[in-house]
Amino acid sequence: MDDKWRNLRLGLGALGLILVVVGAWMGLFWAPADREMGDVYRIIYTHVPAMWMTLIGGFINFVACVAYLIRASWKADSLAEASAEVGLMFGVYGLVLGMLWGKPTWGVYWDWDPRLTSMAVLLVAYMGYMTLRRFIEDPEKRAVWSAVVGIIAFMDIPIVWFSVRWWRSLHQEQSTPQTVHPDMTLALRVNAFALLFVFLAFLWSRYRIAMANRKEELALPEALGEPTAAAG
Amino acid sequence: MNAPGLLRTTWILLRKDLLLEWRTRARLNALIFFALATLLLFSFALGPDTTLLARHGGGYLWLALLFASVLSLGESFRVEQENLCLDGLRLSPTDPQAIFLSKALGNALLLVFLGLTLLPVMIAIYGIELKMGLAPLLGILTLGCTALSAPGVVYSAIANHARAKDVLLPLLLFPLVIPALLAAVKATTLVLQGDPMAQLGSWVGLLSAFNLIYWGLGLVLFPRVIED
Amino acid sequence: MNGLMLLAQVADAAERVGSGRIQGGWEFVWASYAIAYLSMALYALSLWWRRPGRAGRSEEKPS
Repeated sequence: MDDKWRNLRLGLGALGLILVVVGAWMGLFWAPADREMGDVYRIIYTHVPAMWMTLIGGFINFVACVAYLIRASWKADSLAEASAEVGLMFGVYGLVLGMLWGKPTWGVYWDWDPRLTSMAVLLVAYMGYMTLRRFIEDPEKRAVWSAVVGIIAFMDIPIVWFSVRWWRSLHQEQSTPQTVHPDMTLALRVNAFALLFVFLAFLWSRYRIAMANRKEELALPEALGEPTAAAG
Repeated sequence: MNAPGLLRTTWILLRKDLLLEWRTRARLNALIFFALATLLLFSFALGPDTTLLARHGGGYLWLALLFASVLSLGESFRVEQENLCLDGLRLSPTDPQAIFLSKALGNALLLVFLGLTLLPVMIAIYGIELKMGLAPLLGILTLGCTALSAPGVVYSAIANHARAKDVLLPLLLFPLVIPALLAAVKATTLVLQGDPMAQLGSWVGLLSAFNLIYWGLGLVLFPRVIED
Repeated sequence: MNGLMLLAQVADAAERVGSGRIQGGWEFVWASYAIAYLSMALYALSLWWRRPGRAGRSEEKPS
């Protein structure tokens, strides 16, 4: 695999970096302070996009896992590995930001909020996925088994979300949405796109690492053979 | 692979597993004592506060069952691996879906049996009372145990071949079954303490949906797990 | 969409607390931005460290 896409990948990263700087400035200084929450709400601009990236990572992982089971290919397996790890990275720091957000608003770091709780469960599930990958040496078995685990873990997300929401909502009412300042919306969008580009650059780089690892494991220097367990 | 063939194979395999379980009763006994010890330890962790113990009895029952299920699930494929029995079964050739169904049903049966043994002990040491009678509790116990065992069998077949399998199975299984556990605990608590706000239905619905999804996924995915 | 709802809920949640807006809290904001960008920088570094073709890379354990 010669690296003809290197410039595009670096460009994605650079675009992400520029947007991250702009987004940080917008989030920290440009967007108005919230009418009631003051400046604390600015955490949202880093927390929410990170959580979105985790969900996107989980979804890509699910698609790659299904694709692998339908038609075995190292590309699908590597994409699954990359998306799980990158999504996990965004999820872990996003969860920490969620706790930082909870302290000044709810008074505690952890309030068993349905969103945060579901995300915590999701992260533990994907940590299990990554651990499983590390514990199986045979690349083909690893690919099949982790694809099964990835599909099962992803199907769990909506069930976890409903269960935690019911578990909590029996105590508290859901609040009614209000109008938000349009500048806040724009700042959130800029930050979301910034993270999307960073996410893609990370995903791509991690995918190349995974492909290189497969090559080394199979000890096939140039021609990367397809998995033999292809008969679905 | 027509349906009667699948069901018949499942029945034969299930009978084989249950017979094996019965002939080596020591393992079953060990499992029961493990679950009993877990129940006892919860009361020590909480102190001798009977009202508190009674209120959280449902949670302790399910945690004890969950811990026991990890042991029984790990065993159910270790047994098959000992003399390459699983390979023999696959070559015979047995429908892999029948292997999944028999293993999952066998584990669910074992867990229901375990739950029924724990129940009188809980009534005695936690001081709980059955506000809604035994029948709904039995239903929830069955639904909860099948919910634990369907994904459990898939994961245990995977973990059994990996390194550090004793760590891997709970690491994979515990986060997955959180919604099932939540629903089972809530439903059990409602049955034990009465259900003034009629919330039981939604939890039973959630538990049933979990069962439906993971028994379906297991049937589809398990053959891929044990293929060679 | 989810985030917009969150923004709206923030306004609403604060309303229920009281009429006064929350004062200060900048230390939480700075900490959260620092954690976010530091995490991304560290992860980028780890990707760079593991890049294909780097000398001595194959001695590491593939994951």
